Amino acid sequence: MSQAQIVAFRLALLAAVAAAWQLLPSSGIVDARLLPPLGDVLAMLGQLLGRSQVHEAIVVTASEVVLAFVIAVPLGAAIGVLAAENEYFGEIFKPMLFYVFSVPKSIFLPMFILIFGIGFQQKVAYAAFSTVFIVIMSATAAVESVKADHVLVARSCGATRTQILLRIYVPSMMPVLLETLRISMIFNFTGVMIAEMYASRTGIGHLIANWGENFQMPQLFAGVILLATVAILFNEVVRHLEARFSTWRT
Amino acid sequence: MSAIAVDRLSHVYAGAEGGVPALEDITIGVEAGKFVVIVGPSGCGKTSLLMMLAGLRHQTEGTILCAGKPISEPDPERVGVVFQEASLFPWLTALDNVEFPLALRGAPRDDRRRRAEEMLSLVGLDGFGGRYPHELSGGMKQRVSIARGLVQDPPVLLMDEPFAALDEQTRMTMGHELLRIWSTTRKTVVFITHSLTEAVYLADEVLVMSARPGRIIDRIEVTLPRPRTYEMMATDTFGQLRERIWQQIRKAP
Amino acid sequence: MRWPKPSTVRWGLLVALLVFWEVMPSTKIIPELFLPSLSKTLTVLWIDRVEYAEALVVTLYEVGVAMVIACGAGILTGAVVGGIATLRNIMLPVFSSLYAVPIVILYPIFTAWFGIGSESKIAFAGIYGFFPVMLSTAAGIRTIDPQYLLAARSMGATLVQQITRVIIPASIPTVLTGLRLGGALTIIGVVVSEMLTASAGIGYLVSRYRTILDSPHVFAAILMILVLSIMFDLLARTVERHTLVWQTAGRRERGAPTAQASTLPAPAPV
Ligand SMILES: Nc1ncnc2c1ncn2[C@@H]1O[C@H](COP(=O)(O)OP(=O)(O)OP(=O)(O)O)[C@@H](O)[C@H]1O
Ligand SMILES: [Mg+2]
Repeated sequence: MSQAQIVAFRLALLAAVAAAWQLLPSSGIVDARLLPPLGDVLAMLGQLLGRSQVHEAIVVTASEVVLAFVIAVPLGAAIGVLAAENEYFGEIFKPMLFYVFSVPKSIFLPMFILIFGIGFQQKVAYAAFSTVFIVIMSATAAVESVKADHVLVARSCGATRTQILLRIYVPSMMPVLLETLRISMIFNFTGVMIAEMYASRTGIGHLIANWGENFQMPQLFAGVILLATVAILFNEVVRHLEARFSTWRT
Repeated sequence: MSAIAVDRLSHVYAGAEGGVPALEDITIGVEAGKFVVIVGPSGCGKTSLLMMLAGLRHQTEGTILCAGKPISEPDPERVGVVFQEASLFPWLTALDNVEFPLALRGAPRDDRRRRAEEMLSLVGLDGFGGRYPHELSGGMKQRVSIARGLVQDPPVLLMDEPFAALDEQTRMTMGHELLRIWSTTRKTVVFITHSLTEAVYLADEVLVMSARPGRIIDRIEVTLPRPRTYEMMATDTFGQLRERIWQQIRKAP
Repeated sequence: MRWPKPSTVRWGLLVALLVFWEVMPSTKIIPELFLPSLSKTLTVLWIDRVEYAEALVVTLYEVGVAMVIACGAGILTGAVVGGIATLRNIMLPVFSSLYAVPIVILYPIFTAWFGIGSESKIAFAGIYGFFPVMLSTAAGIRTIDPQYLLAARSMGATLVQQITRVIIPASIPTVLTGLRLGGALTIIGVVVSEMLTASAGIGYLVSRYRTILDSPHVFAAILMILVLSIMFDLLARTVERHTLVWQTAGRRERGAPTAQASTLPAPAPV
């Protein structure tokens, strides 16, 4: 099947979902109080985007996401590189990381609240905490994806340390690095959302949880659509870059 | 003056219980322009020796002189290296791979492009410069590696089992190609292989190493005339030389 | 001096952690509100064991049902999507795009629809666990070596025989990995949703005791969840190991970087 056909099918699928979402509630087959028609939801989304309360929430959430990301990624990358480069350190920590990895991070959320309260810091701290492990794992994988042979070839060509870093490590690791950025953003975003939904007075997550509790379905669905769109867009942009940097990775 | 002079070289790898002796008392002299092949049982230290010739690893004892000067660091203007398996960088095109050593020196773009293209055509890959390694066959990849090893025009070329991953037919053609390239460039070549036929076919001189710790146990002059042809493989001289190397390796402790 | 063995260091670290947990709070270096000591946590857990056991039963029930749903639906959908090339080309990238959405934002919808009882938890955790199971089943079916099928066909196997004797056994390893991930995610999903809005379950205990700042009770519940998820992981890995004895490094080693690596399930973003 050609690429155009695939895209056409996907668009048709999207249209079908949208149509069902519009028609089922508006024709009364599904209770419109539980699932408001898509048109109403989009209209609500437009309204919400005009409200200053929502603007503030977006700013708070966005700054939490960015700050947590900026903390978690370099920290995790540093630990991950250390675990990959230093054999002894790696042997100690890699098996432990696997266990830490399979433990749900969200159960530590109360601890963060007990320590930081329910403000900005707590959300950033928790989101960074829930992201750092995946960054560690991926950074380790990224370093390990550098082939010793390639380093040797570069050395035999007289490359300096900096040249080896820039011309061998960076291109070898690029696909994995981008994937790391992408996946850690998913973790990070989820972390902020959970923290905001769990205990907070600001942020989109808080609004969503509130709308749910008050049974304001159009607002709730509008918020979900907004967040889902942002998440998917970011993801697709990075995936696109990944594909460009990894044509050789077959 | 010989192109390569190794004098009483020994090497011990650090490890448990005082270390693993890998090479012992190696003394070799290679005249400029000669094609020398090293054979020996697996694990006898061939790769280690080559690494030291390339300045990629430091020997425990002894000296290595290349064109009269000691080797302590990789110096691509004196020694080019071609590794086993195509160790090309998958994220660079064939041309960029060949240019790589020149790019490291910051050579002007046009110069290095021209030089790399010359090398690609020398190894018979005119017009393939834009391809990525995964778009090339195994033999083509090895040609690119050879071009990369030659791009700085070093007087010495070291090759560690460059054709080991190729099928038998490609391997024969590549050996023949290598001799053609060698005869036009007149490099000093040190070539490692496990194939005795390849050794006799290519070499002016075959060095046989013993099992670990590696020592040079025999030095066999290959008297076959140049240029070599496939027909020579069927001759008695060829068979006798091959047999003699085999006997040496077999009795190597 | 020789460095101690890594495994020794690991056990040492674990012991140090436990000692730290015990000593720091009881010497008041860390306030008890932030971290109640290990002994106190265990004592609380023992005193209120009935309450915790009841909560555990609720949680396990929800996890059980959600797992059945996630695994059943996941394996079925995964087999269909992975087995049919057209569907696979259309749908797999769509699913991995959807994977970027923090699923937790759907939970308020479920509570609005199903109330704050077990149903909303089961629905949420079911969806949460569904994706990895589905994606790895699809991947498992897709990565079957075509040579197996060719061999089977050359020996005259019918379509049904090909499915029961080649496709199913050959995809078991990947499916099992998916079940382990999916199971872990359902546990997380249940606990998270209980923490957010609920009236029963261990996650609910965590939240309730947190609001009244009763740290020892919070940590007792956290400890239980930790043990639960680690036990599940150990169990699942053991099952995998015993089933996979025949699976030596195949054509495609598991974990080897392939072009599809990014469409495979990544671990739980919670
Ligand atoms: N970095 C190293 N550290 C410790 N021991 C090493 C190292 N590299 C090689 N050795 C050991 O030194 C010996 C010689 O290795 P080397 O790779 O030079 O052998 P080789 O002759 O090239 O073998 P092959 O024919 O299999 O390629 C081997 O026993 C090997 O185990
Ligand atoms: Mg070797």
